[in-house]
Amino acid sequence: MSSTVALPAHNTSSASRDILHSLLRVGLLPLLLLIVVVGTSLMSPYFLGWLNVLNILRMASFLAIIACGQALVIIAGGFDLSVGAVVALSSVVTAKVMAALSTALGGPELLVAVLGVLAGLGSGFAIGLFNGLCVSRLKVSGFVVTLGTMSATAGIGLLLTNGIPVYGMPNSFVKAIGRSQVLGFPIAIYIGLAIVMVIAFVQRRTLFGRYVYAIGGNQEAAVVSGVSIRRHLVGTYVLSGVLAALVGILLTALVGSGQATLGGDTMMLQSIAAAVIGGVSLRGGIGRVEVVAVAALFLTILSNALNLLHVDSRLQPIFLGLIMVVAVALDEFSRRRMSSV
Amino acid sequence: MSDVNLAAPADPSTVKAPDEKRSLGTEWLRQLALPIAVLLLLGGFGLADQRILSTYNLLNIAQQTSYLALFAMAQMVVILTRGFDLSLGPTVSMVSVGAALSMAAMGGADANGLLVVVAAILGGFALAGLCGLFNGIVVAFLGVSPLVATLGSMNITLGVATTISGGRPVQGIASSFASFFYTGTVFGLPAPIVIALVVGLVLYVVLSRTVFGRSLYIIGTNPQAAAVAGIPVKRLLVYAYMLCSGLAALGALMMTARTGSGQPNLGGTLSLQSIAAAVVGGTSLAGGRGGVGSAVLGALFITILSNGMNLTRIDGYVQMIVLGAIVILGVVIDRLRLETR
Amino acid sequence: MTTAEGSGAPKDTAEPLLVLSNITKRFPGVLALDGVDLDVRAGELHVLFGENGAGKSTLINVISGTFPPSSGSFRFAGRDVGELSPSEARTIGISPVFQEFSLVPSLTVEENLFLGRESATGGFLDTRAMRHRARELIDELGFDLDPKARVDRLSRAHQQMAEIAKALLGKVKLLILDEPTASLTERETGRLFELIAKLKSQGVGIIYVSHRMREIRALADRVTVLRDGRHIKTLKAATVTDGELVELMTGRRIDVLFPTITHTPGTPAIEVENLTTADGQVAGVDFVARAGEITGIAGLVGCGKSELVRAIYGIEPVAEGTVRLRGETIEKLDPRSSLRRGVAYFPASRGAEGLALTRPIRENVSMAALDLPRYQRGGVIRQFAERALVKPIMETLKLRPPNIERAVGNLSGGNRQKVMLGRAMARDLDIFLFDEPSVGIDVGAKVEVYEFIKRLVEQGAAVVVVSSELPEVLALSNRLYVMHHGKIAALLEGDQRTEQNVLSSFFEEEKREKAA
Repeated sequence: MSSTVALPAHNTSSASRDILHSLLRVGLLPLLLLIVVVGTSLMSPYFLGWLNVLNILRMASFLAIIACGQALVIIAGGFDLSVGAVVALSSVVTAKVMAALSTALGGPELLVAVLGVLAGLGSGFAIGLFNGLCVSRLKVSGFVVTLGTMSATAGIGLLLTNGIPVYGMPNSFVKAIGRSQVLGFPIAIYIGLAIVMVIAFVQRRTLFGRYVYAIGGNQEAAVVSGVSIRRHLVGTYVLSGVLAALVGILLTALVGSGQATLGGDTMMLQSIAAAVIGGVSLRGGIGRVEVVAVAALFLTILSNALNLLHVDSRLQPIFLGLIMVVAVALDEFSRRRMSSV
Repeated sequence: MSDVNLAAPADPSTVKAPDEKRSLGTEWLRQLALPIAVLLLLGGFGLADQRILSTYNLLNIAQQTSYLALFAMAQMVVILTRGFDLSLGPTVSMVSVGAALSMAAMGGADANGLLVVVAAILGGFALAGLCGLFNGIVVAFLGVSPLVATLGSMNITLGVATTISGGRPVQGIASSFASFFYTGTVFGLPAPIVIALVVGLVLYVVLSRTVFGRSLYIIGTNPQAAAVAGIPVKRLLVYAYMLCSGLAALGALMMTARTGSGQPNLGGTLSLQSIAAAVVGGTSLAGGRGGVGSAVLGALFITILSNGMNLTRIDGYVQMIVLGAIVILGVVIDRLRLETR
Repeated sequence: MTTAEGSGAPKDTAEPLLVLSNITKRFPGVLALDGVDLDVRAGELHVLFGENGAGKSTLINVISGTFPPSSGSFRFAGRDVGELSPSEARTIGISPVFQEFSLVPSLTVEENLFLGRESATGGFLDTRAMRHRARELIDELGFDLDPKARVDRLSRAHQQMAEIAKALLGKVKLLILDEPTASLTERETGRLFELIAKLKSQGVGIIYVSHRMREIRALADRVTVLRDGRHIKTLKAATVTDGELVELMTGRRIDVLFPTITHTPGTPAIEVENLTTADGQVAGVDFVARAGEITGIAGLVGCGKSELVRAIYGIEPVAEGTVRLRGETIEKLDPRSSLRRGVAYFPASRGAEGLALTRPIRENVSMAALDLPRYQRGGVIRQFAERALVKPIMETLKLRPPNIERAVGNLSGGNRQKVMLGRAMARDLDIFLFDEPSVGIDVGAKVEVYEFIKRLVEQGAAVVVVSSELPEVLALSNRLYVMHHGKIAALLEGDQRTEQNVLSSFFEEEKREKAA
């Protein structure tokens, strides 16, 4: 608990500062989004082309799905660095299982696809469970544990494939999940939207969501109020793992092969960046996934714009890094302003 | 970070002095655990393959250890202050490229003499110093958590390294440079070992005998108390991050001399490896505990492990998994150690 | 109940609400509770009395299910209680109000009230029902509290109300209050006491932890004294004297707690004009402390008294105003230059702001003086000189055992405060700012701290004592400032320094604020 407790009633300027603060929180992101969209569409004719828009939305959905999991973990006071590696692992596992089943059974493609997807999700579940158990049972820092599982998971993915793409998935799976469209939009976009909406609902209206906030906001208070810490911490890591695995499967379907190079560090960094830019506090207890999804869209558009404007791809990490640091610094700054109201 | 601590002891003022004798005994065991593990590891690999215990290979291990030991010491300095430096690996790449480019600018491989070495050192340290300054300012003055700050600067340094090198190795390492940092010997000892020994000794004195070193331990143990006691916490944090980057730069110069060119991906997994070495060696993530000895021992342990795995032809991907497992094991042991205190 | 003999407890036929017998709680290396017995009857207010570290908080944590006892039997409402989790404790009617609030700052009052026992069906929250119930409860309690307000935007007093409301949600049979009045004003305290009376009449048993004799007198039916984790005695409140209670608590007679101090006021050492801190906790304060006397600052928790001295020392950012030390206007306030100017600050929370617990006593003592040439040369520490300087300091402060290489974390509260005092002796200082100097230390150590302060003043130093303990500031200070809501409510000198005057100045200030 902060020792400097605000006395709002005794400060006349608190209202105007509140407005400034909410502007900072809510207004900045849409504003940036607008600037990037308008700026790029003026400079590049391809930007608002239908194919490019679809591409942006699809990539943003992937990122948003992972960032939602990441956001829940961070809200509960943790960190998940393993998400990028899980994407790769689930891609490899899904493709391997499907390929193996296809040759072994030769049987119904639907069954093969379902089992493959389950295996992929299962791999994400397992890594998430491991992370969660380490953090909640052994009480070690989530950051370092997931740093370790990141290396180990990436190693497993590479070991399974020797770095060579895995082919042999049923065609129908690739077509249905990766390439088909409903009402003109790829399936991935619907899945992304659905997941963001479900998790936004979970955050507001379920015990799990409420407890994740409580644990991140003040763990000791949650303990003495009878909230089961372990179960919910494990839950956030498992969810993060499964969502990353889901993205791995969607990407696999899109590219048509299982690859141990999918996801990786970029995906992990972007998911953290999206969460942080989307207003999730690294101190825990604060953040909404719908804002995180908007931040994911912003990051995707930004990188797409940089590509279209022919900015050297090697320079792009610099932008990502700077934006992340600036976002957190702003958050810290506004937090200090708030506590001094 | 979720430093989960449910087993909160009662009012800390009730904690009485634990049994001195017993804690002395376990303290000895703790001190000796890692050296014993190192010897066991060496013995075990020696049984598997005679070559591992040959004088040639032992000298080789010592030389390899000197690189990782430098990085582990660098990482240890910031971990002492409850920090982290994830940008260490990319910094190594950036310095490698930067040093090679400054040598190339001075006349390339044909130029000889001290001037080229000085140019390379200046170029490398200038880049690393900037990175350390950035990290330090962002962490100390902007209040951004070290994870995000260095995650951000990791991207930035990575971008800089690939951009200035064009993503390709930079040729033109002067032979005087190579001899200074790699091929040269002092009393029959290879240069890298000599440099690591000297740096280790100096750092040992700095940490244990100077006001700066003492202050780092106090900042890591209790930053607020340090501030109240008039220790210039923010300034010293900046120095700590700069020292970390500086040590990383020195290691980078040594590695560049060894490879014979500036490599934009020289850093690779060094962030992870240096954290692993520091943590395995016994540097506590809770801050305030650790030292040169532990960092060097940790580096030795990991080097022997990977040397042995290389010689016994264990797959590189498996080695990634082992490294991840060691990081997790290291923090779990750190956690248990804190609990038995 | 052998220990309750002589208390003349009436022989009730019904079994008491709560019966603990022979409760022991062991933490690694510490025996926090050693065979404690306690019984609380329905409709009774039972005070737990003891020094910090006597085991009071461990005991209430055991009763409220935060952690299980290592051994002993626990009966509640006529049934044996085995493993008890915090939520089970609430379900059977045990409701604790903790001193360290059990509120989540980023959630609203309403969300906090229901934390851990939300109305939900199949994992889905029933927000409407909860909102309705929260409103109902707050109205019933008569608290001026907005259920939709985020807890971190509330004042400390309002947070305390939220905490109490949280404890009273649901069916309560046993209410545990841990120093509930620490941050409440007189009026709010009055409201709480009415509430307590009402709950007692409804048959609720209450465990009440407090150090304040006045409250014990006003409320208690029985008092149980704990010392060093052991049950000392259970007494009827009506028949016991204050002196007896203190003697039982400390295990010895303390005749004179406060020393007689000769104040010889000299020139002003600190002059503060129109000081406002950046967080607004101190608003337009004028303040003077002179050499050779103790200047006291009294006020409730969160009134800005602590922030005032922290601003003078330089750890609380200042928005406007001037600070003069010995007549010289100080432009930049920071701890390092304050120490160089001879100003020392002793934080209220020694664990959080004072000491580096895993480091040895030697380093903790020399910590604030390492810039002096007697401790270092060119940045290199003179280890022998350091040892030779620190050892005699800790000897004069009677550190037991006198080993200065032990980690501070292994020391008792009193010894830790001695390390802090030692730090002040490690360099030449003449302005001392004490923030709650006696919090968390036992009576014996308190006496030593007061003697230390007495020596400082009589040697001509300027001393400022900030304290929430009225008797302490009243007895020690020569001039006493009273703060309320960030402003100076009164300056009391000479005979004006009475408890009555301090309390009425709060009231005056509150009336003025209402009028404004």
